[in-house]
Amino acid sequence: MKKLFYLSSILFLSSCLTLDENLFNNSKLESYKLDGYTGEVDFILGSSYSIPDSLVHLFTLPSKAAGESSATTIYAIYIGDIVQIATDTVIMYCHGNKDHMDFYWQRAKLLANTKSKNRFGVMMIDYRGYGMSEGKPTEAGLYADVDAALNWLKTKGLSNERLIMYGFSMGSAPATKLSAENWSMKPEKLILEAPFASAETMIQDGSGLAMPGDFFTTLEINNGEKIKSVSQPFFWVHGEADDFLNIDSHGAVVYNNYQGSYKEAHRIAGAGHSSVPQTMGFWNYTNALGDFILRP
Amino acid sequence: MRFRIITLFLTCLLFSCAPARFVKPLQKKEHAANVSLGGPLIKFGTATIPIPFITANYGYGIDSTFTGFASFNVTSAFYGNFQMELGATKQILKQHKYIPALSVTPIANIIYKNKDAKKLYPQLAVNAFLEYGKRKNIVYVGIDNWFELASKRQYEIKQQNRWIFMPMIGHSFTQKKWNFNIEAKVIAPNLSNEKLVVDYVTPFNTKGAFGVYLGITRKF
Repeated sequence: MKKLFYLSSILFLSSCLTLDENLFNNSKLESYKLDGYTGEVDFILGSSYSIPDSLVHLFTLPSKAAGESSATTIYAIYIGDIVQIATDTVIMYCHGNKDHMDFYWQRAKLLANTKSKNRFGVMMIDYRGYGMSEGKPTEAGLYADVDAALNWLKTKGLSNERLIMYGFSMGSAPATKLSAENWSMKPEKLILEAPFASAETMIQDGSGLAMPGDFFTTLEINNGEKIKSVSQPFFWVHGEADDFLNIDSHGAVVYNNYQGSYKEAHRIAGAGHSSVPQTMGFWNYTNALGDFILRP
Repeated sequence: MRFRIITLFLTCLLFSCAPARFVKPLQKKEHAANVSLGGPLIKFGTATIPIPFITANYGYGIDSTFTGFASFNVTSAFYGNFQMELGATKQILKQHKYIPALSVTPIANIIYKNKDAKKLYPQLAVNAFLEYGKRKNIVYVGIDNWFELASKRQYEIKQQNRWIFMPMIGHSFTQKKWNFNIEAKVIAPNLSNEKLVVDYVTPFNTKGAFGVYLGITRKF
């Protein structure tokens, strides 16, 4: 029994496991294929959504999170004419927890074609540890990486009133936080697709019990609370059949806690976590987004 | 998706990680130390395996119908959670030939991480057991019940599940100093596992989960 007690004590005192890194379902890439990507994707757009090569820009950015001594190189894609950033409206697309930009390329193209052909500029990055970006994913890294993209857009002449922040799933965390706080830029509007409320809600959903999130995670992501500090107009879209992030325990909490100037909700019957655009229909989806973006 | 598997892991970590502690009370002044291994079934590659949760358990026969025990959740400790069970098994009906004996086991399941993250889950297990053969092996069926005391979750959302029950069936191979135990448990068959961030492997399709457990007990 003594040995058992000692063993248990050692395990208890030395324990350091968390589920934090399991938020990140990242995959590495040797190169980006974009339209040539043959891996699993949520949908593939037809040729009418194609983007001319001249409007697709792949480049790297330095990203330095708080407390880091050196910058991490992350990859970014800008869809649009870089020269026109000084006058265009740009959607900053924060992708989800899965894979990399090749996986989300179709979604980015869809956004670029909102309302009309190549109507909006779209900025997308691979967070550190995703795709070809260096490093390992962290919560602080999410925010720093998106901010690096905002900083780049700012240097190209983008102003706050022409910046639209879009967060899908895990991307709702940096999208919400950077909309609520003062970073390199302050977005004019916030769009969240299938957002999650908090790491604790994920744990409570998973367990079915009201257990503290601290039992398993040190992640501080709390969109349900952070959204209270967002004053910009807010667009929420969520699949009612989302079996990954429940619409009521996650998305609706974020939506209901929003206290800003304007909000609109789109609960999509029959849509799952990754199928909102397809279920709505691409035209309906982009039209709804476009109406919100262009709303005075 | 990996996150789903891991979330299942934590789900089961706290409330379904162990088999029944003592179905039949120990003899008066008898001690027993037990280690159990097992958990809910998950898909692992092409195989279906139980998650190998580990718990350590110590019991003492206060009298021949009443055993007190304490358990320590080893796997939970890896996550920095101090989780232990304090409980007692009371035999309330004796076996009469093929009419099984009956025992009840109230448990306080205590989980502590820090002052902001602590929980108490009351449990109540009821087991019918039948001793048979020369070795007095035991076969048992029972039901374990967990109670969520909190009425609200984060963001003041109403906590829907206040009672989680787990029917189980098990067999204990009895030797003079050792017992070997195998148990199958259906976890929360009343609750939908849809629209949760979990991928349960269960014969009940969209309901609950299914666990398999092994245990070894040394009596002294």
